Amino acid sequence: MIRMEDKIGVFICTGYGIAEALDVDALCKVATEEYSVPFCTTVDSCEGPGLDSINEAIEAQSLNKVVIAGISPRRYVDHQFPTAVIVEKIALREHVVWCQPAGEEDTQMLAEDYLRMYITKIQKMGFLEPFQPEEDIDTSILVVGGGVAGITAALEAAAAGYEVKLVEKTAELGGWLAKQHKSVPTRPPYRELEDTGVDELIARVQADPRIQVYTSATTGAIEGAPGLFDVTLKSAGNGKPVDEAIDKFRVGAIIQATGWTPKDPREDLEYGKLDDVIRNVELEALVKDKGRIVRPSDGKEVKSIAFIQCGGSAAKEHHSYCSSICCLTSLKQALYLRESDDDAKAYIFYEFIRTPGQYEDFYRRVQEDPGVFLTRGEVVDVTRNEDGGLTVTVRNTMPGEHIQVNVDLVVLAAGMVPNSADGEAIRALEDAKLKATDGKSGAQQKEAAEKVEQLARHEGTEILNLAYRQGPDLPTLEYDFPDSHFICFPYESRRTGIYPTGAVRQPMDGLAAREDAGGAALQAIQCIEMTSRGEAVHPRSGDKSYPDFFLQRCTQCKRCTEECPFGVLDEDAKGTPLLRATRCRRCGVCMGACPERIVSFKDYSVDMVASMLKAVNVPDEWDEKPRIAAFLCENDAFPALDLAGQHRIQFSPFVRVIPVRCLGSFNLVWVTEAISAGYDGVILIGCKYGDDYQCHFVKGSELAASRQTNVREKLEQMSMENERVELHQLQISEYERIPEIFNNFAELIEEIGMNPFKGM
Amino acid sequence: METAGRTSQVEQAAEPKSPQIAPVENGKPVSIEPDLDFIRVLSTQGAASFKECFQCGTCSATCPISPAENPFPRKEMAWASWGMRDRLLRDPDVWLCHHCNDCSTQCPRGARPGDLLALIRREVVVHYAVPHFLARWVNDPRYAPLLLAIPAVLLGLALMLREPLQDALGITGNTGGKIVFSFSSVFPHWLLNSFFGFFGILAFVGAFVGVVRFWRAIMADRPDQTSAPVKGMGASIIAALKKVISHENFTSCTTARARYPAHLGVFFGFLALSLVSIWVITAKFNPLISSDFVYPFSLLSPWKILANLGGFSLLLGSMWMIYDRLEFSDNAGESNYFDWIFIWTLFLVAVTGFATEFMHFLRLEPHRHIAYFIHLVFVFTVLIYLPYSKFAHVIYRTTAMVFAEYTGRNWGVPTPVAPGNGVSGSQRKEEIENGEK
Repeated sequence: MIRMEDKIGVFICTGYGIAEALDVDALCKVATEEYSVPFCTTVDSCEGPGLDSINEAIEAQSLNKVVIAGISPRRYVDHQFPTAVIVEKIALREHVVWCQPAGEEDTQMLAEDYLRMYITKIQKMGFLEPFQPEEDIDTSILVVGGGVAGITAALEAAAAGYEVKLVEKTAELGGWLAKQHKSVPTRPPYRELEDTGVDELIARVQADPRIQVYTSATTGAIEGAPGLFDVTLKSAGNGKPVDEAIDKFRVGAIIQATGWTPKDPREDLEYGKLDDVIRNVELEALVKDKGRIVRPSDGKEVKSIAFIQCGGSAAKEHHSYCSSICCLTSLKQALYLRESDDDAKAYIFYEFIRTPGQYEDFYRRVQEDPGVFLTRGEVVDVTRNEDGGLTVTVRNTMPGEHIQVNVDLVVLAAGMVPNSADGEAIRALEDAKLKATDGKSGAQQKEAAEKVEQLARHEGTEILNLAYRQGPDLPTLEYDFPDSHFICFPYESRRTGIYPTGAVRQPMDGLAAREDAGGAALQAIQCIEMTSRGEAVHPRSGDKSYPDFFLQRCTQCKRCTEECPFGVLDEDAKGTPLLRATRCRRCGVCMGACPERIVSFKDYSVDMVASMLKAVNVPDEWDEKPRIAAFLCENDAFPALDLAGQHRIQFSPFVRVIPVRCLGSFNLVWVTEAISAGYDGVILIGCKYGDDYQCHFVKGSELAASRQTNVREKLEQMSMENERVELHQLQISEYERIPEIFNNFAELIEEIGMNPFKGM
Repeated sequence: METAGRTSQVEQAAEPKSPQIAPVENGKPVSIEPDLDFIRVLSTQGAASFKECFQCGTCSATCPISPAENPFPRKEMAWASWGMRDRLLRDPDVWLCHHCNDCSTQCPRGARPGDLLALIRREVVVHYAVPHFLARWVNDPRYAPLLLAIPAVLLGLALMLREPLQDALGITGNTGGKIVFSFSSVFPHWLLNSFFGFFGILAFVGAFVGVVRFWRAIMADRPDQTSAPVKGMGASIIAALKKVISHENFTSCTTARARYPAHLGVFFGFLALSLVSIWVITAKFNPLISSDFVYPFSLLSPWKILANLGGFSLLLGSMWMIYDRLEFSDNAGESNYFDWIFIWTLFLVAVTGFATEFMHFLRLEPHRHIAYFIHLVFVFTVLIYLPYSKFAHVIYRTTAMVFAEYTGRNWGVPTPVAPGNGVSGSQRKEEIENGEK
């Protein structure tokens, strides 16, 4: 059983009440007699001096694989053990002693089964060799977008010692910040308008020897993976033929700071019909250009302005999210007017005023101004009046009245739309186009044509032009913001090594964008450094394993290439997956997807988990002790089990828990294995999915749920009841639901009856 | 986008929006042209942060005496922020406010609605005053010496010219003939009575004209023009006076709790002193007392006791007011010149009154005459500037309270919010009648 080079040691803690609740000698016998483990001993504790004694024994016995049965794996950190040793930890305390009655037969059986499972697992585990590509990892960073976020990201990365290529589509750096007359106050006491400071930022970028600036350029193509991105820049005009390749280089990571575009205001507010109804960006340009505010229609000096917030976005169908800067911009522009004339009047009509954080002080300061009128209400009409001005009608103002004001100018606070492209949608559009012409049946072609129509707005929207199987840009979430796993990390995207920052990621002002860009730069640097060590980035930071594809058995079913949440796998012409290992986050979704079971990690594989299942001692049917296999997501559900233990919540002793990297890595064969091994049911617990997903791998638990139809087929083939497999979603804070789930399922099994395959 | 999610929830709750103008409930949309100077006056003279109001409505919710319908001071805060001076000058609600300041201490923005309303009341007094310049003078510290000089000079002239006047008017004999030790050698009663009577009538006319202007404005501006009054005028006046005398609204205050006893003291002290004064002035023509009326009253005379108690009450009440406003300005409210000049004058009336009384007992010559003169100057000041000083609140507030009774503004009666806006006066009348049954 044990490979020649392996030397396994088992340590069983007697502290924490373990020795009082369990027969420790019997546990040792499981290791030494059933599994012929050469070394098994008890320790008082597995922390502090206890841990030291374990490490001494590892050295003295030359152990290279160690199982510690004691406290939860979450109570250790990696550097506590010698690097060359594989250590598996069993949470006897949290998962057995704290949630089962002491001294009972079932409790002892549970503990022994865990020992069997983990000894089996460690026997199957291989020693990790971090992934190293054949070529050297490049450590430079590409920043796409030369606005305040891009500039700051470039400066920050350069300051940390990394070479930066900064690419800007227009002829000038500075983005929207360079178009502003003044900036809202960024420092206490947040009262006076400030210079934008953009000139200084641009000068610093241009003077930085580590930053190479390309203006009037776009990314024509990006191939490869983190550490190995090959970028082709093409011209965006300005003297050169458009689309001409202007440079090629390699970078290690990419920061996408492509910024935002002002939203077109809603039509019924006469924008575009009345000259004197303009957007905030146009007012800004007017002030910057002329230094004063004049009416577009007749050049008259403007003495009163009505600002309409949300540019009409209060109507849900128009613009349904807060852009966070429009209120500040209107407050600022109201001061432009007020500073020009002490009797000028600025009306600001809003649905909500939002001035995040310390900007509240600026809001108050503008409120205090006698000539600024902030009123909640709904603007219903803007018309030209007899005096040549505009009359604005507002209903349901705060004291409940319908009011009218006469003004010289109406300014619509236009919202922010991210300059993003939905890579997945672009890919889907291409696929649909192909299908619309080459589809097998007429119905299929018609369906595809409809899809082409639906996705038409994505036509030609490419920004990054990634050569990825799953599409040329970052996938986006609601409102077209590039996907960001906001639960755990704001700058994350679903393309490893590519980090969106600034207003493309989330609406934000210049100050927030600068802070954000610093974070994105650190994130890019982190990716480069970890990739060069062959380690995974967030959320399995530091994981040295990587998937291995046994391609001889691949049937080109494309499930892995389609389902990988991170676009890791490209395809060759036949559809065989091509692994770009440095893109990988090690979630194992490919392993869960593969019907041929050809994907495995050295420390996590289909066979390894199946063997753990089989290691459990399944009692005979007439013992009336069912066995339930529970697969818990390592990110939320498994730690939640620790919490259940900490709260001493008791639950059924018949459940055997196996942690999985992600519920998306759950391979259906494990259901078959469990049933044929005599288990009476299988529970899967993953993270919340849907719009506000909490899955660390974006769609793992969602995939597991969608694969349930296949589970049902499997069960039917085996003439088993559908109810024997259950799927749940759980947040880490819902630990108290775990016993409920386990106990209810145990009762259900009692109702349906034992697995007839038991003992076969 | 957490914020986005919240936005959509709110929108789901709200009625679907249409780009068309909704049918307007109360006539046409109000055209607004903010009065920036008015805003500057308010924000520089005692309501520094009122524009920070964001219309949350905490003020109206927390106010113990605001009615459930169209409560103050929230709407006044909005109107003031808009610089709607004309509307505020015609708003009776600013007078229903008793400056409890519960709103000011509860306001999450520190906008101090109570202080703003006090300031607006000052603007109302100034606005309706006739002649207008007197109100401006009363409000300007630079005119304080002049304002004190006017009564001093007038009274001094009258006293100096008393003999020629006496001769010219044909008044003979010593009016204080029976008096043992009197002031009348210097301050003859006929002179004081006619002097104060004359200027009292002037002040009364000034006050009357102001109040009539105010009454017309608020009646013209009431929302329900057509409906009949809820009560008769007489009944309204009686109801309002009952509330004034009982200090019913002050008792509801929590923040400015001290205002209740202080105001009670000043109010009843002043009332008692006025009563005694009127009694004495009319003594000659009053059949009830003319027979055995003898100056001076004995210390044990009920009139003397009432006068002394009134004096004490005025003294203590005004001292309490001053202390409260100095020590607890957060609760008592921002005090400006308009407040101070009135309270200090009242205090000085009481102080000089007692000083005169003591000197009179001690037979201090000529100190008692000097003290009496100063006392008379302060009394005169209070009297003649009534329509122009904070004293005018006596008439404006009472008028507003009568208006509230008359039109059925259910102030002080916290009722559940009625569905729909604006219960008409006649509906309200029915409600009251049903309630009384």
